[in-house]
Amino acid sequence: MADWLERIRVLKLTKKFGSYTAVDNVTFTVRKNEFFSLLGPSGCGKTTTLRCIAGLEQPTSGEVYVGGRLVSSLEKGVMVPPERRGIGMVFQNYAVWPHMTVEQNIAYPLKIARVSKVKIRSTLSNIVDLLKLSGLEKRYPAELSGGQQQRVALGRALAMDPEVMLLDEPLSNLDAKLREQMRFELKDLQRKTGIAILYVTHDQVEAMAMSDRVAVMNGGVIIQEGTPYEIYKSPATKFVADFIGTMNFLPCEVVEWRNGCAVLRLRNGSVVRINSPEVGRGSHTLAVRPEDLLLNREKGVDCQVDVAIFLGNAVDYRVKLGDDILRVQTSADNRFEQGEKAKLEVQRGILFP
Amino acid sequence: MNSASLGRSFDVRYVITAAIGLFFAVVIVFPLSLVIAKSFSSDSGLSLANYGRVFSDAANLKALWNSVWVSVLSTAICVAAGSLLAMLVIRTDIPAKSFLRLLLLLPYGIPPFIGAIAWSQLFGPAGYVSKLYMSITGAASAPWNIYSPGGVVLVLSIYQFPVVFITVSGALGRIDTSLEEAARMSGASPFKTLLDITLPLITPAIVAGGLLAFVGCICNFGIPALLGFRARFFVLTTKIYSALSIPDMPIAAAMSVILAFVSGLALVLQRRLEREKHRYAVISGKSVRPQTMSLGAARIPLFVMVIAVALFAGVVPIASMILTSFIKYWGAPLALKSMTLDHYKYVLRIPIGARAFRNSLFLAVGTATITMTTGAFVSYMCIRARLVVARVLDFLGTIPYAVPHTMIAIAMILAWSRPPIVLYGTIWVLLAAYLVTYMPFSIRTTNATLQQVHISLEEAARVSGARWSDTMRDIVLPLIKPGLAAGWVLVFMPAFRELTMSVLLWSQGAETLGVVIYNMQDAGYTQIAAALSTVVLLIIFAGNALVRRLSRGEIGF
Repeated sequence: MADWLERIRVLKLTKKFGSYTAVDNVTFTVRKNEFFSLLGPSGCGKTTTLRCIAGLEQPTSGEVYVGGRLVSSLEKGVMVPPERRGIGMVFQNYAVWPHMTVEQNIAYPLKIARVSKVKIRSTLSNIVDLLKLSGLEKRYPAELSGGQQQRVALGRALAMDPEVMLLDEPLSNLDAKLREQMRFELKDLQRKTGIAILYVTHDQVEAMAMSDRVAVMNGGVIIQEGTPYEIYKSPATKFVADFIGTMNFLPCEVVEWRNGCAVLRLRNGSVVRINSPEVGRGSHTLAVRPEDLLLNREKGVDCQVDVAIFLGNAVDYRVKLGDDILRVQTSADNRFEQGEKAKLEVQRGILFP
Repeated sequence: MNSASLGRSFDVRYVITAAIGLFFAVVIVFPLSLVIAKSFSSDSGLSLANYGRVFSDAANLKALWNSVWVSVLSTAICVAAGSLLAMLVIRTDIPAKSFLRLLLLLPYGIPPFIGAIAWSQLFGPAGYVSKLYMSITGAASAPWNIYSPGGVVLVLSIYQFPVVFITVSGALGRIDTSLEEAARMSGASPFKTLLDITLPLITPAIVAGGLLAFVGCICNFGIPALLGFRARFFVLTTKIYSALSIPDMPIAAAMSVILAFVSGLALVLQRRLEREKHRYAVISGKSVRPQTMSLGAARIPLFVMVIAVALFAGVVPIASMILTSFIKYWGAPLALKSMTLDHYKYVLRIPIGARAFRNSLFLAVGTATITMTTGAFVSYMCIRARLVVARVLDFLGTIPYAVPHTMIAIAMILAWSRPPIVLYGTIWVLLAAYLVTYMPFSIRTTNATLQQVHISLEEAARVSGARWSDTMRDIVLPLIKPGLAAGWVLVFMPAFRELTMSVLLWSQGAETLGVVIYNMQDAGYTQIAAALSTVVLLIIFAGNALVRRLSRGEIGF
């Protein structure tokens, strides 16, 4: 039934804990070679979704397919236990077994699968090379750094040569520098192996940097699904707009529509025009990215520079527009002083009800 | 902070530290070193003659061997039962987990010698269960004998298995469940996960719990005394008791040093395992609800089985004790008209009963108050002032933890029965013994309590202009009060029903509850012993309820 390219299919998945609905009617697909992220704040249901796919939680309703095989459906009486789903998984805290060496940890899935000693040897040396763990084979996890434990966890997940890998915030325990490095390595690893990766994170920068597609979750529901570019440029709701990147929100009144152009009146009375699909008149919220605001001395609405922070390649301004305070980013060439009167042009914006 | 106030407060602290140092030296170090000295001394001076006598005498050697095999066997039973029950209660979908946990910890709250009395009421020749068996089968006697090595092993196991249960269920609760989930994701079945991941991870806890149970068994006096004497079955502790009643001090001292050596060894091993935990330290993240294994069809049968074990170990003996305390005469038919309050009236009327209550109350209150005050100060100086001297005090005060109670009693006799200070023959020697015994306990609880008060809270008070004494009164004491109160009750309860040392140190007029219960039972006044035991149990359970309230359910059983 499923497309052969489909590696994970989640269909109307719902998971309740007592009266609390953690995951609410979630549907999505992850294809071969795809890096797919579930992105959302903590408690949004992303980890529960992941655990339902892994088989560590039993969904209240809905279906889960892995590699085209139905693995979970209460309605059809199917609940394949986690050990028979053939999924590689990396836990947030790595879950490297402290009583086993690096080698024993990585080889464990192979041992369980009764793979021959010779085969284990060769797989092990491949993984150790791939993850740059050579020399550490006989060490215990307590003798490893966080980043090395992380690689062991990855190695263990890779050892079983899975078609699907689930990663639950695997970088959140690493320091900033290592995190950045691991981001590239993960992406590179995925390209080399062709594994479908489902990645769970609350870090939007991480999700944007690595993913082919992202699903933004909140309150147990997928709010928007798309490429990082789509989600950044056209957030579907105010929540997504706010959660991804930096966004200014301005209360406004839609006065009229003229050839695909909205005429808006801001709170301080100034009038702004933006390109937008028609959404009706009356009270709205205008969402504008800092880089879509042009601070200049010639045209636009009147404003005053409140704070200017020099970032090197750009300047970050906090600008007063009546009672509203906006963040504006401009190149470092054209600088404004603190307290200086200026003009602000809205180049691009989105209207939310 | 001006230097004058700093200097002044340090003076006070040094004075108190010195006073406690002297107190520890006199009360703990001096008596205990006397026992060791005594065990190595003979008429000709320093020698191994006493040990020679212990090992050349067949009866002593037998007692040593009995101690070892009884403790090893009981420990094996404790480990098996405690670990399995912990697994069942913590890691399966067995119903009513917290209720089961409470029931299983019940034996932990019963003083072992009271437990032994209850078990002889149940399984003795005229015991309730024995009579039930006889009436059903028509046999002339029950096929078991509680007054036997087997009886000692059984009752020791019942009162020590909660130790293993507690350590193992603690370890199971602490395991990061993702370690087990990772095994499932690697293809391991639930059973394989249990064998390959869970079991190796909790092995240190199982061994540590087993070692503690072993020490509890080998140092126990009440159970082998009440169940072993009649069968002429001696272990080290009861043999020491006999040696003291001869009296043969050098032999008693040598045997108690041997006992201390064996139990000390076990404790050292246990401490090492405790420290080993760090070897297993890995990054742990958010804790997920522990994965419970489905028992399937076995769920209800296993539940019934655990309930049966718990009732058998905890509830039935208590019920038997209460029943016996109300029954007119031992062996009377179980009917309402056989019930009476006479034994309670009698207990209150006889002078020795009231005296025992007074003495035990005085000793328990005194011990709890003094040890907690001293302990709090030592811990404070250790953790906060980081005085090197305080570290020494902490160590000295903790030594008795590894010393069997019989050895502490001998130490008291050796130290306090000669001028210039003669305490032996008065209640004060009991107070001294109790202080030594419970000092480690109070140091540990105050340590734990103080660790929870972050130093910045005190520093904030100092910066706000408070002197050290102000800070103590306004910040530290109010914050540690619940912990201190809980610790106080936790010393009060075992002191209130202490037997091992009391039975070796009591004298006319200085009887404790434990001694009176023991003597009454020994002399055949079963119902009187039962009435007193029931009252003691009542007080213990009330105290436990208090501790649980004070600690919000974190301490207690």
